[in-house]
Amino acid sequence: MSIPFTHRHILEDRMSGYEPSPNANHLTVLRRPVIFSALAHAGHEASVAEALSLVENIVVRSVSPSDWLLVSQNAEAGAIAASLGAVPGLSFAEQSDGQVLMAVSGPDVRKILAKCVAVDLHADAFAEGESAPMMICRVAGNLARTGTDTFEILVPRSYAGYVFDELREAGREYAMTRGFGE
Amino acid sequence: MASLITCPHCGRRPKEEFSIRGDAVPERPEAAASEEAWHAYVYLRENPRGAIREYWHHVAGCRRWLVVERDNLTHEVFAVTDAREAATGDAA
Ligand SMILES: [Zn+2]
Repeated sequence: MSIPFTHRHILEDRMSGYEPSPNANHLTVLRRPVIFSALAHAGHEASVAEALSLVENIVVRSVSPSDWLLVSQNAEAGAIAASLGAVPGLSFAEQSDGQVLMAVSGPDVRKILAKCVAVDLHADAFAEGESAPMMICRVAGNLARTGTDTFEILVPRSYAGYVFDELREAGREYAMTRGFGE
Repeated sequence: MASLITCPHCGRRPKEEFSIRGDAVPERPEAAASEEAWHAYVYLRENPRGAIREYWHHVAGCRRWLVVERDNLTHEVFAVTDAREAATGDAA
């Protein structure tokens, strides 16, 4: 089967020969998420944050008091852009091709991530639903807790291969498998 | 050096996430100020032992400029403020 270049994921080559069935600890690379970066103009931080929380089909990842990343796995970029365009005091740009989204899950996920980030990921310090910008395998990315034992990582596309390799290495002792997910 | 910095936006973070610009004490003179005032602002620095004030950029975090007050002898960190708040005196 031939895959058109535009549909080839940046991590496609690294996935060759991956395990057919996932283990308990698993790294999922999301194939085609829609990602936007959003910036509030000075003075509009609170109203923009409020408006973003009301946009349908997106998950808001916090970066700074005036800066967010928006992730969607079930909406078209055009539809999201239309909703964002209606928010006063907001500048946004599509980043779907600029960022890579990965999900790590499993009972040992915190032990795996402890090798990659220097932030306390205990549920008391980093609760489900929280997200923050941080250094992930020495790359500036964004980490979110989407479940008790599930985290999502956003890193710039050009660093994704390196971060993927580091995560794979970190997960080796816990038999972490990896694969694409939709 | 202090290895953990509590960013007002991101919480406790390792120093590797930051980039240090330098002394936050000198105040930028007026554009028309004397050559001596500009020379002092651009080139002259104190080299204190103890409490210092510096500009830190949280490069791998919120990407905000911060003012870090710390002790370069004991490594104690006294305060970390957003640079905008430090400049406007706004504690919000
Ligand atoms: Zn920060």
